[in-house]
Amino acid sequence: MPLTGLEIYKLLPQTNCKECGYPTCLAFAMKLAAKQAELKACPYVTDESKSKLEAASAPPIRLIELAGADGSIQVGNETVLFRHEKTFYHRPGLFLRLTDTDGVNEVKRKAAEAEGYRADYVGIALGLDGFAVEAKSGDPAAFKAAVEAVQSVSTKPLILLAGTADLAKAGLEAAAGTRPLIHAADRDNWQAMAEAAKAAKAPLAIRSDSLDELAELTSSLAQAGLEDLVLDPGVDTLYKSLFTLTSLRRLALKKSFRSLGYPIITFPGNDTLLAAEQIAKYAGMIVVDTFDPALLYALLVLRQNIYTDPQKPIQVQPGVYEINTPDKTAPVLVTTNFSITYFAVANEVEGSGWPAWLVVTDAEGMSVLTAWAAGKFDAERIAKAVKTHNIGEKVEHQKLIIPGQVAVLSGELEEELPGWQIMVGPREAVDIGSYLKAMWQR
Amino acid sequence: MSRYIATRAIRGAHAIVGEAASMLDKALSEKGADTPVSFPNTAYYLPLILGMTGREITKVGDLQSVVEQAKGLLHPVPPDRRWTPYLGETLDSGMATLLAEETIMALRFIYGLQPELMPGFALAGGTAFTSPDNGSGPSADGHLNGPIDDIQLRSWGIQLVDGRMPGFAAIVGCAKTNEVAVKIVRELQRRNILTFLSGNVNGRSIIHQLKEEGVELGYDTYTVPFGTDTESAIYALGFAVRSALTFGGMKGGQARNILLYNKNRVFAFVLALGEVDDLKYATAAGAINFGFPVIADTIIPEILPTGVTTYEHVVSMPFNEIEGADDLERAERLVQKCIEIRGVKVRVTEVPVPVPYGSAFEGEVVRKTDMRVEFGGKHSRAFEYLLMADLDEIEDGKIELVGPAFDDVPDQGAMDLGIIVKVAGRKMEKDFEPVLERQIHYFVNGASGIQHIGQRDIAWIRISHAAAEKGFNVKHFGEILHARFHAEFGSIVDKVQVTILTEPALHAEWLAKARQAYEERNVRIGSMTDESVDTFYSCTLCQSFAPNHVCMISPERLGLCGAYNWLDCKASYQINPTGPNQPIKKQTNLDPVKGYYSGVNEFALSASHQQVQEVSMYSIMENPMTACGCFECIAMVIPETNGIMVLSREDTSMSPAGMTFSTLAGMAGGGLQTPGIMGHGKFYILSPKFISADGGFKRVVWMSSILKEQMAEQLKEVAIREGDPDLIEKIADERVCTDVEGLVAYLAEKNHPAPNMPPIF
Amino acid sequence: MTVEIPIEKWAAKVREVTLGATAAQGGTRTRTVTVGGEGTLPFLSHEGSLPHSPALALEVRDRKPDDWSPLLYRAWGEAMDDPGDWAKAAEAAGADLIYLVFSSTMADGRPNTGENARSVVRKVLGATGLPLAVIGPGQAELDNELIVPAAEEAKGERVMLGICEDKNYRTIVASAMANDHLVQSKTPMDVNLSKQLVILIHDMGMPLERIIMDPTTGALGYGIEYGYSVMERLRLAALQGDTMTQQPMLVNPGEEAWKVKESKVGEGVPAVWGDWERRALAWESVTATTLLLSGADVLILRHPETLKRIRSVLDGLRAPA
Repeated sequence: MPLTGLEIYKLLPQTNCKECGYPTCLAFAMKLAAKQAELKACPYVTDESKSKLEAASAPPIRLIELAGADGSIQVGNETVLFRHEKTFYHRPGLFLRLTDTDGVNEVKRKAAEAEGYRADYVGIALGLDGFAVEAKSGDPAAFKAAVEAVQSVSTKPLILLAGTADLAKAGLEAAAGTRPLIHAADRDNWQAMAEAAKAAKAPLAIRSDSLDELAELTSSLAQAGLEDLVLDPGVDTLYKSLFTLTSLRRLALKKSFRSLGYPIITFPGNDTLLAAEQIAKYAGMIVVDTFDPALLYALLVLRQNIYTDPQKPIQVQPGVYEINTPDKTAPVLVTTNFSITYFAVANEVEGSGWPAWLVVTDAEGMSVLTAWAAGKFDAERIAKAVKTHNIGEKVEHQKLIIPGQVAVLSGELEEELPGWQIMVGPREAVDIGSYLKAMWQR
Repeated sequence: MSRYIATRAIRGAHAIVGEAASMLDKALSEKGADTPVSFPNTAYYLPLILGMTGREITKVGDLQSVVEQAKGLLHPVPPDRRWTPYLGETLDSGMATLLAEETIMALRFIYGLQPELMPGFALAGGTAFTSPDNGSGPSADGHLNGPIDDIQLRSWGIQLVDGRMPGFAAIVGCAKTNEVAVKIVRELQRRNILTFLSGNVNGRSIIHQLKEEGVELGYDTYTVPFGTDTESAIYALGFAVRSALTFGGMKGGQARNILLYNKNRVFAFVLALGEVDDLKYATAAGAINFGFPVIADTIIPEILPTGVTTYEHVVSMPFNEIEGADDLERAERLVQKCIEIRGVKVRVTEVPVPVPYGSAFEGEVVRKTDMRVEFGGKHSRAFEYLLMADLDEIEDGKIELVGPAFDDVPDQGAMDLGIIVKVAGRKMEKDFEPVLERQIHYFVNGASGIQHIGQRDIAWIRISHAAAEKGFNVKHFGEILHARFHAEFGSIVDKVQVTILTEPALHAEWLAKARQAYEERNVRIGSMTDESVDTFYSCTLCQSFAPNHVCMISPERLGLCGAYNWLDCKASYQINPTGPNQPIKKQTNLDPVKGYYSGVNEFALSASHQQVQEVSMYSIMENPMTACGCFECIAMVIPETNGIMVLSREDTSMSPAGMTFSTLAGMAGGGLQTPGIMGHGKFYILSPKFISADGGFKRVVWMSSILKEQMAEQLKEVAIREGDPDLIEKIADERVCTDVEGLVAYLAEKNHPAPNMPPIF
Repeated sequence: MTVEIPIEKWAAKVREVTLGATAAQGGTRTRTVTVGGEGTLPFLSHEGSLPHSPALALEVRDRKPDDWSPLLYRAWGEAMDDPGDWAKAAEAAGADLIYLVFSSTMADGRPNTGENARSVVRKVLGATGLPLAVIGPGQAELDNELIVPAAEEAKGERVMLGICEDKNYRTIVASAMANDHLVQSKTPMDVNLSKQLVILIHDMGMPLERIIMDPTTGALGYGIEYGYSVMERLRLAALQGDTMTQQPMLVNPGEEAWKVKESKVGEGVPAVWGDWERRALAWESVTATTLLLSGADVLILRHPETLKRIRSVLDGLRAPA
């Protein structure tokens, strides 16, 4: 049972020193309860309280961090089976597989190509998280060279696909100064792999088709002092992946099965739809075989969507959006910065073929009606947006179309924007095209 | 139950069953048992017989068992001495009559006597009747309609089911005059009610009357002439049976289900015009089986509610005794009465005002310079008062202006105005009065060029120049309210009558009455306690963005948005039984202090999708109610003071919790239970149940000044109730301090009770 | 060490709904399609019964649409010129169902008519033996004008009529009841609204075995997460025993995915979006796959290649025997 804010408050110093960055101890406690703050922010918490709080907050799925020369990724620490129950916290890492048998130049070329990949999605930069370098040659020197080649063009975290401890060591040497994942220990090599991982302070993946064996291995490794582990249950079909990953997530969350409470790595190869499934259903790291922007972009967007906090909707940048190259006679529409609202409106305007100016106000990511009800989309805010963005200079008319849902704002808005005519648009975005056709004379 | 009706119906049934039997004998000998028998263009055989008995009649011989069954339903005519014949016997007789009538009509088809010939008559919209044997060929001329064919049944059936057609009327007999006949039909057509015509009085039928007046009859005009005899009314019931078979998914023989379907879903009634003979009584008794009430315009005994129909069974409205300036007005009232008795809901879609109307105009402001006239505000007094009336007491759609209009008021001037709305409805309750009254604000605001602010006796309405120039006058308020109350609250409102008062003496008189009513309502809601009811209401309106949040609304705890109190929810549930406000039976009171009820817990578990296990109605410290994001206030524990603060949404300043409203809102909202913090409605602060489990109002150590100002009077009373008349002054606000240290000092200085109360946790 | 696989036991099942009627059942379809019946979460066949695979429908229009992506014109070619040919091509492409949608206007720009709807339905029924959905253009009045005659024309075929929405459902439901059809109950990404509309439709006398609910989704990148979570919540509620959420779910990834820039157009988009055709197909199929995982029973698709891919996804999701 997680502690409530009040229970946590009792364990805090109650001095309101504000050093944690929150105004009162109670505020801090409530943030802790909501898992939106970390206990280490409090410099004065007693050891006794600390151990009580940590015991209560130990994550059922261990948080694992990989680090490159610059940049890192965290996976695990998930607390729910369904995103609507709270949220999924740590997006699964997407890694590109590179093979040492391709030769140093080819590896380098591929890594460089993928390293620079950046796609913009509603103002968020999306890209790959790193590379999984495979020691296919079986030759430590070739593997080392391949890892070095990747390092020479990339600062992202690595996964070392090394079947033996020797290969792993070669890779680790090349990746010195970073924190790669070693893949993988199995029932035959786990002791040697554990040593290598321990020496490099790197997390270790464990590979087995059997959950029984995985659990045994993690227990053994934990006893050997290795706790940063990742599971590779060897899933290769859509069904097996769904069944196994669901079972693992349930075991960790509902049965507190500590020996399987680790993030999972999967290898969907070139199967985009298997990768998609694994994004939705419980993978922690996903290694794809081919760099194809067309497919990668779809996966990156899916990951972004699924890992959006359902209670903190995606926002688009407030501002003025030009649709279909508007001129001074084009209509001006206003809406909120909730992404879905924005998409609905922007898509309809775009689809209608009308050039238009779309003023997106900062409504803290709420939809029109919600924002209005919460006081985040009122006459004052709309007027402020219109003024800040100098809409008056962009158009020669003084007409502003507001969403039909907030018709009630029209009067107030006329007060706030003297000289402007406030037009009440349709209630649903779908009707924007026909509304403009009927109401807007060029 | 009237012995008279029973006697006449039973007698009529005996006669018609006898007639059917002899006709059948004749047909058997003349045509033979194997002669096919059917109604044209239907897949439902003889539909009433199919529905009621499950028999698929295809030849004359099949009818023998039907007549036998009808005979079996006959009862002896009650002797004069017996005073209480059973309703059941009358209903049985009615059913026997219907079986006999359908048998008779089927046999008439064999003899070419159906559809009934009427030389010189032409059906509007033609007919699907194409039998070559009826003497007139496949034309629409020279005969009446006969039964409705299946294609038409489906087309009208869809409209009856989807509500475009409110119901159907079976008119039997002959109206007082041709003029009255036309008026009745026009009134029905105006309401889109399907009308079937049959029967006669002394040989003269309403069909003759309408034909003489040149009224077009047929599918196209939704007014279908079946025949000039009473028997042809069976086609109306065959139509009803087929509706149930087609739209209710029922099978032939499921008599009970078919009858219930008609009672509950087919809004039909029988209007008997002129003298009612035995056969008409018997046929009417058949219709009552379907839940169709019978209204007669002559003096006959009445059968008041007993359960077969929804309301009254048989109602007598002697035509000449109906109130009205002339026969036309009487005819109009007669139709209105029929509609009320069957509970037919009439939809009003247009708001008949000379200015554009729609929610898009709700926010319009009419500035002083644009204003033609205002009511209320500084220079005059306007009030709105909605009250419930008996159905018989008011006339739907009557809009009356008592006193002068505003023509003589100078430009931008003001005048006194009273809007009295009387509503009646079978499901209306006195408690809904304030709920409906508050809608006046929204309804009036929907008109372009009209601004409405406030309610009750602080209403303030402006009419713009533009609206006045288009002809908007005060009576239009009435038009708006009539149309909108029907459209939005049709499920509880059947009649709306509006009086606009400008005459000074009456204005004063009604204002006094209204104020008395407002006061009574205040007392009523003020005196309702959670203990006095067995049902609370939920509100899940906000689940679209807070998917697991559910508001529990009790008489002493209104919704956290402030928009819904217990009565609102009760009304909302009546209006929209599947909507966001559902009744919650309290069931076992598990903990009277904290306010745990088993029914509330169960509802919370299910409506929160298993996220919330328990809800304490009266505590902020333990399982407090969740919040969406719409709360008017946030209450939060200030541990250092052993008390709580209450922060208003309208207060943007810093609070002693170290956070502003918008930061705190993130913690209080989202449908999560967070002990120590809670979103709530403003008026909940005044409730005796306000965090009563935690010590109640005395725990309040800090409150946004805006709340203190808005509720100054009520807070004073609360302080007295709590036994500390100076309590409000001891409560700090943002003008005193916005930090804990300042707050603690202030409480000590003022000797606030909270720090000395038992520890809050 | 033996790991015991946790098994979830559920109190209830999703309702089974059958589309289409064969000659024996009073129609002319060569086969019927039954969906629903799940006794557990999507594809977790080790812990509950999953009697029917989700059905895949291809969208066919009453006429060649004006504003579809060039990739779709390329894929369907001349078949799009005639709804009968198109339906035949869709059947050949492997669809389980034909999702026939009427356009709001005729090719010459005049509003669509009931007469046209009737003849299109007749034609499509003649061209394919698959069960059908018959869907209006999404404008209340016109929908009713087209669906009523279309429903009559298809009497007895157990087609699914749509779209029933909060503001316009009564006429379509009535005509479904009159002609023995099913209805699609569509609500905008909200659990309670989904439930409420099912209740309202059922209250009109429509059996629950003839209602499919469409909780609506957004495309990948355009709100799919809302639709995804609403579907997961509806399915969980159904399995927990909330009877009015137990309808099979239909969603339309085809329409949603092909409406967005990522699929629709090949020019004027960022280079990092990669190859247009591969991206477009990925968009539709990733959207569709994700929705399968959240509980979709019927998917409406637009591109024949997507159908092929989703078919193989369904094969892959079947537990090995």
